[in-house]
Amino acid sequence: MRRAIDDAEAIARARGGDLDAYTVLVARYTLRAHRAAFLLGAGEESDDVVQEAFVKAFRHLSRFRTGEPFAPWLLRIVANETRNVARSRRRRAALALRLPSVESSAAAPDGPVDEALAAERRAWLVAAVNALPDRERQVLVCRYFLDLSEAETARVLAWPLGSVKSRTSRALKRLRGRLVPGEQNRVSSG
Amino acid sequence: MADRAEWQSVVESELRAAGHAIEVPPPADLTAAVRRRLEGQAVSRRRLLPAAGAGIRGLRLGWRAALVLVVAFLALLVATPQGRAVISHVFRFAGIELHQGPGPARSPGTAALPGERRMPLEQARRHVSFPILVPAALGRPGEVVVSDHGRVVSLFYRRTPDGLVRIDEFAGHLDQLYFEKFVRSSNVTKVEVNGTKGLWIKGPQELMYITRSGVPAIASARLTTGNTLVWGTRQVALRLEGNLGKAAALAIARSAR
Repeated sequence: MRRAIDDAEAIARARGGDLDAYTVLVARYTLRAHRAAFLLGAGEESDDVVQEAFVKAFRHLSRFRTGEPFAPWLLRIVANETRNVARSRRRRAALALRLPSVESSAAAPDGPVDEALAAERRAWLVAAVNALPDRERQVLVCRYFLDLSEAETARVLAWPLGSVKSRTSRALKRLRGRLVPGEQNRVSSG
Repeated sequence: MADRAEWQSVVESELRAAGHAIEVPPPADLTAAVRRRLEGQAVSRRRLLPAAGAGIRGLRLGWRAALVLVVAFLALLVATPQGRAVISHVFRFAGIELHQGPGPARSPGTAALPGERRMPLEQARRHVSFPILVPAALGRPGEVVVSDHGRVVSLFYRRTPDGLVRIDEFAGHLDQLYFEKFVRSSNVTKVEVNGTKGLWIKGPQELMYITRSGVPAIASARLTTGNTLVWGTRQVALRLEGNLGKAAALAIARSAR
């Protein structure tokens, strides 16, 4: 019985030069790679970063260890490319919050006041993450904005696992230090 | 004052929520560009389907184009000799990947998503990082199940006029892959739900859950009941499944708040 091609099979075929198989991977991971590039600071150059990353990933497929998950391996190349473009223009793009849409206010379970407070709080958090030192910003982006595990983050940023843990806790501590005292009691979810 | 561990878990979940609210522009369709750049260098194996040509290259095309592609591919399948390795061409929508043709063999026993946990709706809202939408047309769900560490939430309504209705919700706008469906193109039509795109899929199909690392959860493979509606909002992707007609499904979808 025919079945969908999974990542492992697509990679195995792509290694043999099968571009159809690789195109399946490109289609499957474009949005995720693009989101990572953008959130790690590639800004308007995210599409270029992702294109370059996919081309490099194909060339380096022989180094991919069979059985390991594809996403962190690809995102490591994306993160590297993002660093290259950020270095060349000497700044990274800051992240901005989406304006709340009519739809999301209708979808929110809480009333408008709670929602406004939560939105304000999110804007504050994103601004605080933007202002962190580079490595601390990267680790928070990977762990929380990209929903990667500690091990995946270590793979993507090419750091030892211990550095992921210590930089995460340092970054969270710094965020906490920047909180005004009154805000520490506010629990918007948990 | 909240102690440190508690503060950390609160700020972690707030950071996740903030991450979902960051404006990320949509990516360009890179499949054709990447392919062009690689075509010069891939030498060891030629394309499996030379006849398919440029028509099935762009996998991220508009709706009409995508459906045409699927139809074109079906025709191609018929023309392809048996036993030849063929990659099914896929098209994606809101975290769901549609494949042509029959799906995988189903595992015996009851299909389940990984780590299913039954809980009250209010508790479920705290376990997932996206807002859970509830259709006003159906009211409170009889049962709520959170799966895979809050990656998916399922609402069950057992006593609707049409029997069991199931709604799965997930953060499909992030385009991580959540489900694979195996469909016949003739059973798929484009619909609109509150001004956004949706898909109406007639008849049962094979459905499989895909884990975070892109691996199909074999134990989740099952045949869906009745028909399916797939749609998305800015924050959530939803699939509604049940033995009900298109108009009834759309009315339920439009009432989701």
